[in-house]
Amino acid sequence: MNLPNYFLADLPSEAELNAALITEACQTLKRNGQQFLQGRTTGSIIHTLDRLGRDWLSEDFPFRQELLKLSPAATGFSAAVLAAGLDQFFQQLTGENLESLLRQELGRAQRLDEFLPNEDEGKSARSALALGPRLLVHIAPGNIPLPALTEMMLGLLARSAQFVKCGSGQSLIPRMFAHSLYEADHKLGACLEIASWKGGAENLESVLLAEADCIVATGSDETLAAIRRKAPPSARFIGHGAKVSFGYVTLEAMEHQARQVAERAAADVTAWNQRGCLSPHVIYVEEQGGGTGGEFANLLAEKLEAAEQTHPRGALNARDAAAIAMRRAFYEVRAAHSPDTRIWASRESTAWTVILENDPRFEISCQNRFIYVKVVTELSHALQGAEPVSDKISTVGLACAPAQTAALARTLARWGAKRICPLGRMQQPPLGWRHDGRPPLGDLVTWIDWEKQ
Amino acid sequence: MSVALLSSQLRSFMSRSLAPENPAGGEEFNRLALALFAFQRENVPIYRELCQRRKAGPESVADWRDIPAVPTRVFKEYEVSSIPAGERTRAFYSSGTTGQVRSRHFHNAESLSLYEASLLPWFQRHFFGLLPPPMRLLFLSPETAAHSSLVHMLTTVRRHFGTPESVFTGREEADGAWSLDMEQTLAAVRDAVGDNTPLGLLGTAFSFVQLLDHLQAAGKRFALPKGSRVMETGGYKGRARALTKAQLRQMFSKFLGLPASQVLAEYGMSELSAQAYDNPAGVFGFPPWARACVISPETGAPSGEGETGLLRVFDLANIASVMAVQTEDLAVRRGDDFELLGRASSAEPRGCSLLPVA
Repeated sequence: MNLPNYFLADLPSEAELNAALITEACQTLKRNGQQFLQGRTTGSIIHTLDRLGRDWLSEDFPFRQELLKLSPAATGFSAAVLAAGLDQFFQQLTGENLESLLRQELGRAQRLDEFLPNEDEGKSARSALALGPRLLVHIAPGNIPLPALTEMMLGLLARSAQFVKCGSGQSLIPRMFAHSLYEADHKLGACLEIASWKGGAENLESVLLAEADCIVATGSDETLAAIRRKAPPSARFIGHGAKVSFGYVTLEAMEHQARQVAERAAADVTAWNQRGCLSPHVIYVEEQGGGTGGEFANLLAEKLEAAEQTHPRGALNARDAAAIAMRRAFYEVRAAHSPDTRIWASRESTAWTVILENDPRFEISCQNRFIYVKVVTELSHALQGAEPVSDKISTVGLACAPAQTAALARTLARWGAKRICPLGRMQQPPLGWRHDGRPPLGDLVTWIDWEKQ
Repeated sequence: MSVALLSSQLRSFMSRSLAPENPAGGEEFNRLALALFAFQRENVPIYRELCQRRKAGPESVADWRDIPAVPTRVFKEYEVSSIPAGERTRAFYSSGTTGQVRSRHFHNAESLSLYEASLLPWFQRHFFGLLPPPMRLLFLSPETAAHSSLVHMLTTVRRHFGTPESVFTGREEADGAWSLDMEQTLAAVRDAVGDNTPLGLLGTAFSFVQLLDHLQAAGKRFALPKGSRVMETGGYKGRARALTKAQLRQMFSKFLGLPASQVLAEYGMSELSAQAYDNPAGVFGFPPWARACVISPETGAPSGEGETGLLRVFDLANIASVMAVQTEDLAVRRGDDFELLGRASSAEPRGCSLLPVA
């Protein structure tokens, strides 16, 4: 497939980028946004996105085919892993879901089109219009592509021209999506820019941030602080810092559905090769002397081995493979020393690893399907172990009896979790999920209040 | 075999293996490696447990490459030592700041003496080459730091190869971090220039960056007398801005008048007893009594020529712990030697997910 040169990321080399090109791109974006986005109705944007979502789900869609072909070499995700992730995302991208998202965020679906009251405002002759930022700049994460695609979708709904800055060599997936949008609707595509360079390039970033009305950045706390310092005071800054997630399995879940629970956990470890902030680092398993931890770890190992056949992890660079090899070698010694540590691992490859420990301390995994299973007596025991990262927790995936869910969710919410979902769906947040507990679209818009009397 | 007998055989091998008429001595290395393996398997409890788990013993291991290696991280959590607790006279810790868990490598008189027997000839060959010691030496490190294997190495070097004017200009702060007495360092440099006597500078890369940055900021330049040399070692660990090897060498040339050919890099760690030095092409080599293997992290098999993997060192001078040490360093295999790429574990946090920065 020969892609036309629409975006900066289509340039043969990142080295060709310079400050003048970035400034020019931002000004073009703003002009195009004014011309092509301001007059668009929410309905027409939803229509385009809905159709695009269905296109991407079709195995014959050329952009999907091309992406799956290029992905293993460019992103490290095997075609099967990427296809599963894309399907999950695009299945959500329906007109119905987009309308629900708008209602969730703005009270009514058409409040980006015209002054409309919500229920209460109507009673007092008030009404309001939501406007998106003129130029929305994304500093996209490099680990997985979905956050960038989600942000692009939100930006379109908000009628913002958007500049998506990806990490060096990490633009492929957003770029393919942008090309598909351009193909579907030239005018919408003209309000997007995709570029990639290594984060921290002062000359490029300062001009880009200077043009922004709103900045959505994802990255380490240091990266976010640096971007915030460079952003103009008038720009809205939305930062998503590094987050971790874990799974929690109760005794009851193990008693009745051990295999299914392990299979769901394996799905969470396999999705995006465990690289996202919603992926589990640890799965806590309740045990009261009955060996459920070992049973779960053993089943999980079995399921991860099976997943390697259907959704292979793909090749790693030496550094990532070394991180796994080093940990395995260390835990092997620990396992030789004490029955409190056990290890299951793929043979002659680093494809997957399960470390079982009788110690609730939260461990940050080296990712790429390296999962800790930690035995605990009850939820409070696990939360003690995870206390050092309680302010960094995004998602908790639960496997429990239905009657237990509400109480566990309440405890987890008070403790610091931002999202609670069933185990097996950790990397499948709904379209309207609140990243870091913030309203996804509500954070982007500015309200204009109109008091009629 | 008793430790005394092993030790004397190792010394004999060390002294013979450096003689020009004696080639690498592969068979003897293998024999000694297996003897040392048998001894350590018997006498280092945590190692015995690992070997039992792997079912690796004298009957199943015939080649030194198959001797189970112990990851350096294990030295942080366990006492990897054949010396009974009451008989350890010295412990070297890996570098780190307060609060970090550090590796511990225990020694006694016997193992320290073997350490020195390993250190001196290989250092002399690489640092002095054909120039005979003694030499005026300037150490950019503290003279006393009870648990630093590097300081022990440098004081041993001074005792054997330094002239009386040799000086240590580093200080150990209360939190364990090292600082540099800049005035004293500059005075030593000025003296050497004034006397027109070659100066040997030895220290960590981050100490040298402090010195060179200071010279740059102060607009000072020196032309060290002919025959002057540098040995730099170790990483930066956030204590100074990190420079590439090429950048560091450029600064040595610019601010001290030292050509790149006079800058030697050392590779060593508290968990090992032997050191490797680089050649002008940047390829590191251990002495004949220590062998480097580059291991594919994906499969655990030895990497092919020019391939990247994890560095594993088989160090016969490591008599009192384990001779097979799995490092966390990535290296490229160059024949029996290696090019160093740096720590595998210092991966940066990526994207939205938190990665450990170990």
